[in-house]
Amino acid sequence: MSPMENAPQGSPPAVTSSDQEESIFNRAKSLPAAERAAYLQSACGSDEKLLKRIQLLLDSSERAGDFLEPRAPAPRPSGTIVVALSPSEKPGDFIGHYKIREQIGEGGCGVVYVAEQTEPVRRRVALKVIKLGMDTRSVIARFEAERQALAMMDHPNIARVLDAGATGTGRPYFVMELVRGIKITEYCDQNHLRTAERLDLFIQVCHAVQHAHQKGIIHRDIKPSNILVTLHDGVPVPKVIDFGIAKATEGRLTDLTVYTELHQFIGTPAYMSPEQAEMSGLDIDTRSDIYGLGVLLYELLTGRTPFDPQELLQEGLDQMRKTIREKEPIRPSTRLSTLLEADLTAVATRHGAEAPKLIHLIRGDLDWIVMKALEKDRTRRYETANALAADALRFLKSEPVEARPPSGLYRFQKMVRRNKTAFAAATAVVAALVFGLGLSIYLYSQERQALRKEKQALQRAIAAEKREALLRVQAEEGLAFERKMREITPIANKLTTAGFFLSQGLFEKADEVMKDVPLVLPQSASIFNVLGEQHMRRGEWPLALTNFSKAVQVDPTNHLWYQHLAPLLVLTGDRQAYQKLCDQILRQFGSTSDPPTADRMAKVCMILPPPNANLQTLAKMADTAISVGPTDSDWVFYEFLKALAEYRLGHFATAVDWAQKVVTQGAEPPRSVEAYAVLAMAQYQQQQVSEARATLTAGREFVRQKLDSYQGVNWHDKIIAQTLMAEAGALIQPSPSPVQSEK
Amino acid sequence: MSEVTRIFDEIEHGDPQAADRLLPLVYQELRKLAASKMAHEAPGQTLQPTALVHEAWLRLGGSEAHLWDSRAHFFAAAAEAMRRILIDNARRRKALRHGGGQARVDVQEIEIAAPADDEQLLAIDETLERFSVFDPQKAELVKLRYFIGMTIEEAARALRISEATAKRWWEYARAWLYAEMGKPGAT
Repeated sequence: MSPMENAPQGSPPAVTSSDQEESIFNRAKSLPAAERAAYLQSACGSDEKLLKRIQLLLDSSERAGDFLEPRAPAPRPSGTIVVALSPSEKPGDFIGHYKIREQIGEGGCGVVYVAEQTEPVRRRVALKVIKLGMDTRSVIARFEAERQALAMMDHPNIARVLDAGATGTGRPYFVMELVRGIKITEYCDQNHLRTAERLDLFIQVCHAVQHAHQKGIIHRDIKPSNILVTLHDGVPVPKVIDFGIAKATEGRLTDLTVYTELHQFIGTPAYMSPEQAEMSGLDIDTRSDIYGLGVLLYELLTGRTPFDPQELLQEGLDQMRKTIREKEPIRPSTRLSTLLEADLTAVATRHGAEAPKLIHLIRGDLDWIVMKALEKDRTRRYETANALAADALRFLKSEPVEARPPSGLYRFQKMVRRNKTAFAAATAVVAALVFGLGLSIYLYSQERQALRKEKQALQRAIAAEKREALLRVQAEEGLAFERKMREITPIANKLTTAGFFLSQGLFEKADEVMKDVPLVLPQSASIFNVLGEQHMRRGEWPLALTNFSKAVQVDPTNHLWYQHLAPLLVLTGDRQAYQKLCDQILRQFGSTSDPPTADRMAKVCMILPPPNANLQTLAKMADTAISVGPTDSDWVFYEFLKALAEYRLGHFATAVDWAQKVVTQGAEPPRSVEAYAVLAMAQYQQQQVSEARATLTAGREFVRQKLDSYQGVNWHDKIIAQTLMAEAGALIQPSPSPVQSEK
Repeated sequence: MSEVTRIFDEIEHGDPQAADRLLPLVYQELRKLAASKMAHEAPGQTLQPTALVHEAWLRLGGSEAHLWDSRAHFFAAAAEAMRRILIDNARRRKALRHGGGQARVDVQEIEIAAPADDEQLLAIDETLERFSVFDPQKAELVKLRYFIGMTIEEAARALRISEATAKRWWEYARAWLYAEMGKPGAT
């Protein structure tokens, strides 16, 4: 079977009418207009129909414009399809001024040749022809943009980029200083370099990268094949090649273009930083190179990349990106110890060491150095390549390194990052805690510093013989501070743990942790509050009460905790405790100028009839609330407060007015019921008994229809509504339906 | 070995029926791929057919090791699959616009960059169908160019014709379709 017949279209290429038409059409089209008529006459002969047909086609072709033409020239298809089979340059060919000698390498994105430069100087260079079907002009434009900066680079460990241009077939090429060397990893393995010698080479690479960064050049593609080692008088010298090329050829690796350039992309995912894998394309900086250096060091130490390139490839593009962005790599020493016996021995041999010793050497400081360079969050990586080099050098000199194993809190934060959705629930609580704790510790130390300064001033003033006594005081202070810190730290840890459990929905565990936490840190209040609400939801009133009480006790300045505690005390029937709390509330918030605070606090103090002594303060608070005016979004709350306050003050007529407004507005369930109750009572007190009864009935109907099923966040308001309804029922003499069912 | 690789093998061993089994697989893969992309993209993103097809090729195990026959069959199937996806989308949107509430709506509509607006796309497709009765090979070329954005060069390779021939066919097909679309009575 011939290949043609096997082609997908199936039908054999017989001469059809369309073929005849097509050949006359194309022939005519290729002729100058003047010669067309004569040609068509001769080609079509007497076939008038064919002639007209061809003329129609020619006419259509004229007018067709870009009809059916693929719209934009981009995106270009992958190089695998087009270029792989196109003839490549041969020795002897010229590209620009450069005469091709031999091919020395072929990578994911290009072919590298040794070439001879004739002008302006005669020398050998490396010439890299980019093989993807990329937009040559923009590649060269991007290179030109960096050419100035590239020219400024002058470092013994950097191969200079000399020139760029387009080949005859329109593909971009780059000319570089010729480096005759082998990949750094291969060099190290072949020569059985010990870890210290590897680090020595690595430090040189870091310095080269640092030099480029100082000139404003980011490499973007640090990997062993871009770091060649050559021997100068027997001394190995690493050279970083391809500076400026990744940037020029990478361009915008946007989602749209990446698929077409898939082959290039999958060439190096093992070395790609999380932000590069993100492929937002724009936000790459020097810290991406730090990551690349981290991968390089990882490979120099273990012979493996942090992520297995084969596994990455099998994952598919999206998962690959996710892995690079989110998965924590295994520590180098752990990686070695999980290798198969034979593999490990092989790695150790290449390092000129015994396996156990190698693992022992890498475990600890080198692990942390690598992991710090490989941080997902680039702000946590080494700031500069030099800093990374310095830490490696510290290790070589057995000095303490800067990199540290992650702290407990840090690990916790990382866990949060990995389980974003699970944590969303209690993020607010945890964030408040972490922030609040940090702040209070900070303030505490500030305070202590201020104190110390004062003492120092004093010290200067007093006589020398008293110095001894003073020092003793200071020492005691120091001890007190330490004691305080010792006290705070475990509490802080418990809070964080509890916050974590809550965020995971592990409510009982959080409860357990918080059970005997000393009531010292105000930050614990929000945790107690959450626990209290949870108990409330389960109908465990006493436990809810305990938690809300603790919240108030540990942080008496936040009115929110009282808002929960006061109604609960009414619900549990502890009138004495309730009145005591009300007195405390009015002392704390009686003169507040914040309308929401005034509203909430005055209201919880009027659930039950308040003692006369408190009435004036409550009236004032109600006025503070309504001072915001009817345009406020919370206005209906304030209207009700005013109604309740007027009722408690005995101003029944105005109470009716205010309550009526709320009822007619049809506010949300608890508020409407509250208003019905107050309205009914105020009407009754004005001797409008039948109206009062009607209102009460309407209110009860509303309770049945709306309030009983209400499960909203304002459960404390539901208690208030039910309590007021009970009060109204008792006052107005209930009709047959028992009020008690409302509880 | 994936189903597709097996089919490639069979094609390369000369089983002419094997190619027919490619279309449903490629169709499915393209839809799956597009859906998974849409799920990860910001709303409003559109996918490029060319990019999708090339990624599908790689995902289905396509490589340079495969003979041209396999590639040609693959891209022919891909062009047909992409045509169906685009036309389906266009029809569905049209039905929705005209209040056809019964039209099935996928949970997430796949936004693939179409070469033209819906009306025009449907009109061109109809005309192309007539053209493919008249001259299937040249119609195949149009499909490769129009629905999956292949260049003349690539399409020539896929059809195993010279670039010059592909160019001539292309010019002719464009004129033919344009003339046909301009006829009164044509949609």
